[in-house]
Amino acid sequence: MSSLRLALLALLLGFIAPAWAIDGNALLRQLDRNLEPESYATYRKLINIEPDGKKKEYVLYTVKKGRDKIVALFLDPPSEKGRATLRLGDNMWLYIPNVGKPIRITSLQSVIGGVFNNADILALDYSVEYNAEKVEEAGSQYILSLKARTAAVAYDRLKMWVDKATTLPVTIEAYAASGLLIKTLHYSDIKDFGGGIKRPSVLETDSPLYKGYKSVMLYSGIRARSFPDEVFTLNYLPRAGELR
Amino acid sequence: MRRLLCAGLSLWIPVAAALENNSFDISQYEKKPFELNGYAELKAEQFTFDRQDALYQLNYFDQLPRDGFDRGTGSLQLEGVYRHGITTAHVLAHGSYTHDYTGNDRDTRFYEAYVSAQPSNHATYDLGKKTLSWGKGYAWNPVGFVQRPKDPNDPDLAREGFVIAGGDFVRSFDGTLKTVAFTPLVVPTTAGVNTDFGTPDHLNPAAKVYFLYADTDIDFMMLGAGAKSARYGFDFSRNLGTNLEIHGEWAHAESTTRPVVDSAGSINPLEASATSYLLGLRYLSEHNLTTILEYYYNGAGYNEDEMRTFASVVHNAYDQYQITGNAAPLAKLRAALAPALAQPNPGRRYLYLRLSQQEPFNILYFTPALTTIANLDDHSYSVAPELLYTGITNLELRFRVFWLRGARLSDFGEKQYDRRLELRARYYF
Repeated sequence: MSSLRLALLALLLGFIAPAWAIDGNALLRQLDRNLEPESYATYRKLINIEPDGKKKEYVLYTVKKGRDKIVALFLDPPSEKGRATLRLGDNMWLYIPNVGKPIRITSLQSVIGGVFNNADILALDYSVEYNAEKVEEAGSQYILSLKARTAAVAYDRLKMWVDKATTLPVTIEAYAASGLLIKTLHYSDIKDFGGGIKRPSVLETDSPLYKGYKSVMLYSGIRARSFPDEVFTLNYLPRAGELR
Repeated sequence: MRRLLCAGLSLWIPVAAALENNSFDISQYEKKPFELNGYAELKAEQFTFDRQDALYQLNYFDQLPRDGFDRGTGSLQLEGVYRHGITTAHVLAHGSYTHDYTGNDRDTRFYEAYVSAQPSNHATYDLGKKTLSWGKGYAWNPVGFVQRPKDPNDPDLAREGFVIAGGDFVRSFDGTLKTVAFTPLVVPTTAGVNTDFGTPDHLNPAAKVYFLYADTDIDFMMLGAGAKSARYGFDFSRNLGTNLEIHGEWAHAESTTRPVVDSAGSINPLEASATSYLLGLRYLSEHNLTTILEYYYNGAGYNEDEMRTFASVVHNAYDQYQITGNAAPLAKLRAALAPALAQPNPGRRYLYLRLSQQEPFNILYFTPALTTIANLDDHSYSVAPELLYTGITNLELRFRVFWLRGARLSDFGEKQYDRRLELRARYYF
């Protein structure tokens, strides 16, 4: 191998080098806590944007506890008001007031249409669902290659770009088991929400499966809050609005 | 591939930057003492009769012959919640105004009007008129002991409740068993309360126990003897993957009664215990096609011979009426049998299949669907294509056509209409 080739290889390795010393799963856990407290309540606005610029908006109130419990209640528009989704580990349910009972849903469905599916709306900590297989360094970012811990996780693999300075995600590509890119998530606009929570306030997604369409999630009023376990049961779902 | 992805990332333009503001005011969404919402609905329907059908002859023999009719319905549904301390008052009121060839008809009623008290996160007490919804089935609920039956053609429609007094007690755990909930209640019947639940002067105790065990929903439920015979059953539901859910129900009624007509035209109540069950699945394909498939065995339903005899007797009575003008046999058959046999699915074995394609061709908020219900004993069926559009905020537009097909003397072949068109516009506020 010529010295020129060796020099180029050394340069390349210096640019994208495996970060042997970095524990990917520890990094992922740190990233989760930087995004939000383990138990919290927040309001989110979801905006579906069509290619012609037409928008449709939804407002959700979300409460989460621990590693695997999350409830999202639709507050707006009136056509969706009162719908509530519950996730307990790999189990997901949707409560529709007219139907009067929770029905099981699957993570790849979308209760609102658009690019976000149920797994995005009821997302758990990344470290709960994914195992970090590889960490690379690329300038000011880490690149994490994540593999779903179980087959029940919506996306088989994630490729995550993480800002080194803040340990917050910047871009995530979500892949199916077949290797198909399902969607790309972009975090932006870091805000201080108070209580030590400083994180991106905007999450955008686009998908090759929905060419020209985008969905945006805005965060507001994130605060740490504890809840009893019984809040995360089917029986409580019709009363989720009382949690606000 | 890597180059393409990098190119894709570099081309990404933040949409958030184009939004007017990346924050939103949450104060308007916070909990308030009083909340009111609902919907207004306009529905236009066109029914096309087959005058040879038994249920047409039974229901219309004493009217001018018709090939069909149009019907327009305006509805208003209001839902109100009032909160005070640990108590919450709920009201769900429904009013409708219908116009068709018979004239105008108004109907106003409270579907729900009850008070809940929640002294702790573990316990809730309810008193008043409340709609309960037991069972995991989408089109049918054999374990729905304390609720009005669904219309399988519109399973998501709100239904009127019964006056109840009950509680709901729930505990969560770590481990394989995650949740246990106990829901005891009474559905009292008197001369003026819950008159359509069953015979008066009974307390009608009922209960449901729920377990979330090994990622499976399991319910056991019972209704004590009283206005109806004692009945008990169970249901379950479980996700088998990220896109597949299975569910089932099993119910046993100690005694059920249904009027049965023999070939001579004699009508007798047939009393028997009945076991019913349902098995179903919901599957989402990679292309966003949702399939709901359910098999329903209705132990209290009419078997093929009973259905054929009923239709045959009606046809004979109608023919005699045409010749003699004697309406008495038809009137007697209508009074005794129509309530049971005019139900959407009075037979024994049914299959329900619904295919709905969410947002085909990248058309957001557009969902075409196809629903078919087949009677597996006589192979008659209904098929209903449907178009649903929800792209305009708070407005839901739905168009459906029902075609009913089947041989003479079959379940769907003898229903009073062969085709039904329905256009519905619903505005939520």
